[in-house]
Amino acid sequence: MILASIKLKNFRIHENVELKFAGNLNYIVGGNGQGKTSILESIYYLCTTKSLDAKTDSEVVRFGKEKFEIRGEFIGLTEDEVRVIYDKIEMKKFYLLNEKQLRKSSDVIGRFPVVMLTPADHAVTQGLPGQRRKFVDSVISQASNIYLENLLDYNRTLKQRSSLLGKMREYRSTEMMNEFDAWTEKLIETGTELIERRIKFIDEFSLYVSESYYRIMNKKEQPSIGYFYLNGFKNLKVKEHFTKLLKEKKEDEFRRAANLVGPHKDDFIFTINDVNLKTYGSQGQHKTFQAVLRFAEFFYLKDITSKTPLFLLDDVFGELDAARAHKISDYLKEVGQAFVTLTDFGNFSFLKKDRDDYLIKLNGGKVVYA
Amino acid sequence: MQIAEPLAVAIEELSKLPSIGKKTAQRLALFILKMDDDRVDNLLKSIKELKTKLKSCSRCNNLSEDELCEVCKSTKRDKSIICVVEEASDVIAIEKTHEFSGLYHVLGGVLSPLTGITPDSLKIKELLKRFEKENIKEVILALNPDTEGETTSLYLAKLIKPLNMKVTRIARGLPVGGDLEFADEATIGRAMINRLSI
Ligand SMILES: [Zn+2]
Repeated sequence: MILASIKLKNFRIHENVELKFAGNLNYIVGGNGQGKTSILESIYYLCTTKSLDAKTDSEVVRFGKEKFEIRGEFIGLTEDEVRVIYDKIEMKKFYLLNEKQLRKSSDVIGRFPVVMLTPADHAVTQGLPGQRRKFVDSVISQASNIYLENLLDYNRTLKQRSSLLGKMREYRSTEMMNEFDAWTEKLIETGTELIERRIKFIDEFSLYVSESYYRIMNKKEQPSIGYFYLNGFKNLKVKEHFTKLLKEKKEDEFRRAANLVGPHKDDFIFTINDVNLKTYGSQGQHKTFQAVLRFAEFFYLKDITSKTPLFLLDDVFGELDAARAHKISDYLKEVGQAFVTLTDFGNFSFLKKDRDDYLIKLNGGKVVYA
Repeated sequence: MQIAEPLAVAIEELSKLPSIGKKTAQRLALFILKMDDDRVDNLLKSIKELKTKLKSCSRCNNLSEDELCEVCKSTKRDKSIICVVEEASDVIAIEKTHEFSGLYHVLGGVLSPLTGITPDSLKIKELLKRFEKENIKEVILALNPDTEGETTSLYLAKLIKPLNMKVTRIARGLPVGGDLEFADEATIGRAMINRLSI
């Protein structure tokens, strides 16, 4: 599957622009403020209904306008037209696949898998646990609708349960205790499924991480990902342990009116030769690991979904040393269709543009194919 | 643009209905304006009677013209099975499948601390009373398979189990997060047949 073209209307800086893409590498070149990154952002919208980093849809609408529209044409076994429209006034978003509206995000996510490597990925290896959970959740969600549904179910349960805990801080009746038990049972049901799926995922994904790491580093170092869940518990009887911990923390939960146990507290630990990356990694090791994770995600999704994800790389070459950048550029030749933003193609002598690749220059709203 | 007051009010009121936007409301208002007086009267009467003639069945809380609803009145229903649903619209959805011949109990919602819906605001006590008075042997929990519906099922199952009745919940064949009301008849029918013991 490839993305053959997009049309943007009032999307960030782009008032009305149409781009055609090559099936292989697309270098999108332009100075600051020419809207390179928003091209990638619009592609991410087409695949997931949302932006990777914008907090709201309305901030994406071009200044002074009421709505944006993204139109994309996917060509694979079938030809599909996707339209994403957001109306700022009515605060409504529409996702149309071949003019038919899809209403649930789980109907969309995974249909056109996408992987994006951006400078904001520093949060995945260096940020808080929530950023790593977000990474893992987004990978599994694209591979499995059931996981995504279960995740939404779990998050909804957390909200309901903490609301009930808040009410019980003031007053606890028997009836409320019965209700609390039901929400706890629901939490255990959905939470256990999440944890078990994450265990299985990390197990499989680790192989992809090793493979990508060797390709980019070419060294005999061993990267690994550890999964920290239920206070560091390592046993396959997840449900029993989850239940036990909840019992132990019950009074704490009432006192603090908060959900204290469950997969929303999980973390993932990246190591190189058993040394913790977050604590001891150099800046270069972090950058490399972030790229490794995204390549691993790409090949994992490709195998699991039997579809070739779109690969988006936002301004990544400027931050890597020449040797790493060179390897990544070679590696990119194997991924299928990719979109790479650069400030200036000439600065990167190691980048190779094959005959079928596109070099798209953005300048003052004009698009030139070089 | 200036719109005549009565028209503006009608559009405003119509647009408060579910899935009616401003444009549709305007089209409906202008259409009603052109309708014969008789037809307008009939429309008004039917809307009015919805409110005056329909009430809740005193036994199962289903919509009813009389003290008891059509299902509760019928002699052909299996009075040993109760199917618990959220809203009266779910009764309509299940009746259409012709796969169920027992009685219903309409809860009037599901548990949701966030919106302040507690066991007390639902017809749960009424359900428990029915177990004392009627000769019920099986309870089917047919709440929507979303977060709140499933938790309400867990809550009810805990209350009902000690009473020595068979408790089942409808199979997960329904689209997840999809309302019973919107699922097609064949799907609901299958879900009713393949129910699971809790
Ligand atoms: Zn009745």
